[in-house]
Amino acid sequence: MEQGETFSSPAAEEKRGEPEDDFGYRLFPDRNKKPQSFLVRSLFTFHNRCQLMLRMTLDTNPYAQLLLEAMKQSGCTVFNDRHFSCENCDSCVGGGFDSATSQIVLCQNNIRHQSHMNRVVTHELIHAFDHCRAHVDWFKNVKHLACSEIRAANLSGDCTLMNEIARFKFGLKGHHQTCVRDRAIRSILAVRKVSKEVAEKAVDEVFDACFNDLEPFGRIPHSKTDAKRAYRDFQNRDRYNANL
Amino acid sequence: GLRAEGWAGCAAEPGFSVRPQPPRSCEDYWWEWKHCRGLRHAFHHYYAHGELPACGRWLDDYEACRAWERGRAAAAQEALCKSERARVMEKQKYTPVWMLRKNPPPDWYLPLDQDKPN
Repeated sequence: MEQGETFSSPAAEEKRGEPEDDFGYRLFPDRNKKPQSFLVRSLFTFHNRCQLMLRMTLDTNPYAQLLLEAMKQSGCTVFNDRHFSCENCDSCVGGGFDSATSQIVLCQNNIRHQSHMNRVVTHELIHAFDHCRAHVDWFKNVKHLACSEIRAANLSGDCTLMNEIARFKFGLKGHHQTCVRDRAIRSILAVRKVSKEVAEKAVDEVFDACFNDLEPFGRIPHSKTDAKRAYRDFQNRDRYNANL
Repeated sequence: GLRAEGWAGCAAEPGFSVRPQPPRSCEDYWWEWKHCRGLRHAFHHYYAHGELPACGRWLDDYEACRAWERGRAAAAQEALCKSERARVMEKQKYTPVWMLRKNPPPDWYLPLDQDKPN
């Protein structure tokens, strides 16, 4: 199973009587380490495969292309070599967004298929987009984190029926929302030292607002067709707003 | 195609002669209607929202758009604009969780090996 996590630098002070929160950094042990030499990195195919799949996603996937365009228009142009990093990660994590360095981390040891890469990149770009367009307090405000996780699970394709069936989670009527809620809670618990009740409360309080915040897609993209249509609508936004 | 004379965008006052277009092209409304009525979309909508979609509004908007294109009644323009404004208002009915930025984060482009000031 995979997860997209959002984590921040552990700069917050220790709360009284509670162990220090590592804000999810334990899942990404290669963060804050010196990168290996080019020669060593090029000998390991995981890194090459990750880079190739990332390039394919950025060049051809309509979800990613829409998000890149939206971020550019918000003033955050994404550069492959600055804002993406293929690294080895812990266990089942697929990727993460490091708000301290404005980088998307892709877990080269856990992403094996192009479809998975597409989904992880989309998920993390949604976090990056939220970071770019809003004052998101990633490590002090659980509701902010919850909101971004709800949006990422909702809009990235994480919760398609096929993906849920592959996780042995079965349901049909409105199941998408159940999935979004559950995955948002899981993501919060993975990167923050809060209780399940706190995570659930935060998700439930912001669910309606954040589930219905469909920026920049304008719709829930259930397929690449939907994503392409959303991209087209995004490019026509000036006309839409000017004639409204 | 569209013709400019005698038309105005949704927000224009009588007498203005600019913005001679509906908010979307009429083909877009038609596409949305056809897409909404498809089996695949019906399934996705039921899976996401627990109910089947209501598509009639797209057809109304398409017909209003066509009437707008043909230069007919202000009523068609008004109906279409009202429908689109209602769509925008539906999206804005929730209290935002966070404050939007006026400028992007200042450290977005900082090189990775630069120490962040604390």
